[in-house]
Amino acid sequence: MSFFGSGAAASATEPKDAELVDPPSDSISSLAFSPAQQSDYLAVGSWDNNVRIYEINNQGQSQGKAAYQHDAPVLDVCWNKDGSKLFSGSVDKAAKMFDLGTGQSVQVGVHDAPIRCVRWVEAPTGGILATGSWDKTVKYWDLRSPNPIATVTMPERVYAMDIQYPLLVVGTAERHIPIINLNNPTTIFKNLTSPLKWQTRVVACFPNASGFAVGSIEGRVAIQYVEDKDASSNFSFKCHRQEQNGAKDQQAVYAVNAITFHQGYGTFSTAGADGTINFWDKDSKTRLKTFPKQAGPITATAFSKTGTIFAYAISYDWSKGYTGMVPTLPNKVMLHAVKDDDIKKKTKR
Amino acid sequence: MVKKKKTKHVLRPWCWYCERDFEDEKVLMQHQKAKHFKCGHCPRKLNTAGGLAVHIQQVHKLDPEPIENALQGRNGYDIEIFGMEGIPAADVATYKRKKELELGLPVGYFGNKAGEQNKPTTKRNYENRVYTFEELRGMLETHRQLMGREDDKMDTTADASGPVLHAAPQTYVLPTGLPGLPPPIPPVGVPGIPPLSMTGPPGVPPVPVLPFPPSLPGMPPFPPGPAPPGMPPFPPAPGMMPPPGFAGLPPPEALGGPPPGGPSITPAPPRKDPGPWLSKPPSNTTPQSVPSSPMKRMVLASKTPSGPFDPVAAGLKENTVLQWTDMDFSPLERRAEDPKYSQFDASEDIEMNEAGGRSARSRAKARDFLD
Repeated sequence: MSFFGSGAAASATEPKDAELVDPPSDSISSLAFSPAQQSDYLAVGSWDNNVRIYEINNQGQSQGKAAYQHDAPVLDVCWNKDGSKLFSGSVDKAAKMFDLGTGQSVQVGVHDAPIRCVRWVEAPTGGILATGSWDKTVKYWDLRSPNPIATVTMPERVYAMDIQYPLLVVGTAERHIPIINLNNPTTIFKNLTSPLKWQTRVVACFPNASGFAVGSIEGRVAIQYVEDKDASSNFSFKCHRQEQNGAKDQQAVYAVNAITFHQGYGTFSTAGADGTINFWDKDSKTRLKTFPKQAGPITATAFSKTGTIFAYAISYDWSKGYTGMVPTLPNKVMLHAVKDDDIKKKTKR
Repeated sequence: MVKKKKTKHVLRPWCWYCERDFEDEKVLMQHQKAKHFKCGHCPRKLNTAGGLAVHIQQVHKLDPEPIENALQGRNGYDIEIFGMEGIPAADVATYKRKKELELGLPVGYFGNKAGEQNKPTTKRNYENRVYTFEELRGMLETHRQLMGREDDKMDTTADASGPVLHAAPQTYVLPTGLPGLPPPIPPVGVPGIPPLSMTGPPGVPPVPVLPFPPSLPGMPPFPPGPAPPGMPPFPPAPGMMPPPGFAGLPPPEALGGPPPGGPSITPAPPRKDPGPWLSKPPSNTTPQSVPSSPMKRMVLASKTPSGPFDPVAAGLKENTVLQWTDMDFSPLERRAEDPKYSQFDASEDIEMNEAGGRSARSRAKARDFLD
């Protein structure tokens, strides 16, 4: 069943990953790099209610630039197309917009339950914000009106959402995967059941919008194409499993917490509650790189706009409940300089 | 190396036909081919005695003669020997004992397998056959007397033991010495399992043949195989009452996921069962749709343990340990309902704030961060 060969292990000579200065005081829920041209901005959403924006230079040095606050933990962050505005969704049921020009944050949307996902839709007719919530809806906001442009009812609570225009994929509780074609954004184009047998944790669209990856709590990732004609290319693979207590036959299965695609190469990263990160190539079904195991779960990952910086957050993901929240767990964001060979598709020989 | 081996004796592969031992099984097989499975009529060598017999019969149209170079009584074709495979257990035991004697080793040096062979094969003290009703009745009577006596001594301990053991004492708590009464229902508690750990008198079976299907009171509350998704995982057997632990089970959707039919899930009946899951809001209703109470309800749900959820029964491979076992809520939802994070809600009541204060950490404000 192992589709992926073992990738090259991290070599000892590799430069150490840089640590983000002044990290949030509580777990990091989300990371997003700005698509702005001039500089690499990283937005960090945290369980301490704050959204922070850091500027990262080429040497991997970081500097806090701005921050704003929600009334409750922040669950997701995203940028608009030109990187001038940052959006965030929170447990306080509000979606906020932060304007980098003015340094002001305003509420732009509201749900009946915590907002799990925010994504920017860059439609030809103009940009809108899509928010997915545990109130079982996805709403679209035009940022001016206090009411949503449209509300789409989901079969269950929204657990994950990703957009690659015109593809919008939602992962909900009870393993539903509604797919929306953003050319017709108010109706569900297709309602799939997850190819994985366990609770959906994360979805991520391919950069070419032909399909998406689903990660579940049971250490497994499925690659799924939207068009039926590509269904034969669908597959799933196991990852983020560890031997338990050193026993060979006992395997601990961890949740896949984050999947992020590299926009240039179409390869992707998976990060798990086990504290490991892998780079994969879905087309050749190979693992491109493994990261050394971190001291805590990986809760979020992000590639910079050029794909040269890979940010990952090591913090508690509640996988062991309240009791697992021990002060010794690290709470930091690491910046990894991506080597081209580690993320580029291997040419077939 | 060789000297070292002398101190520790290992049983080497040996030939059943001539009781010679060899360095390894490969050599043994070569020996058997050359010495015992050689055709006397042509240069052909076969791999097994059966092969040799067929060869002689079909190629040479002759009756196979006894196997060459074999010990007395071991020259027949009825036992298929291939290297060390196929040797009768009794012969293995005899050979081991012979070797032990030869080398002056204590009995059982070459593993206690030989000893095991001498004992009755299992601890079963009943024959594997259909008993007549009279026999069954007699067995039951003796068994019941035995159990009744045992029961006086170990009443409490038996109660504290697990569900399988539990069934037996309950069934057997009958006053002794009521011989006149017809035996009521045969004790069906433990079909196939020897009566507790006591050694009953020979001929007392734990009722191997039953006049009616057992109701399996001691059966583990999970179906034996993994429940395939989309199938109703627990159709209770006709006439089978759910065992006490049943109500605590997660509902079918939680185990196997929703039926592939689509989004229209009707509430599953097990949710209505009394049990710890009652306190949990059904996943079909929006937990937060009511503005003030939902957080409280969710917190309540979080306090209940996630029940005796068995991922293996739900289709997970054995020996894999799932790290997140809450099938109805994601880690983030659970975290959001933790008092530490949910106290922003103005409608939270006092008890919640107390709980929040207990776990609250000093939070960095945005101002601090910007300094």
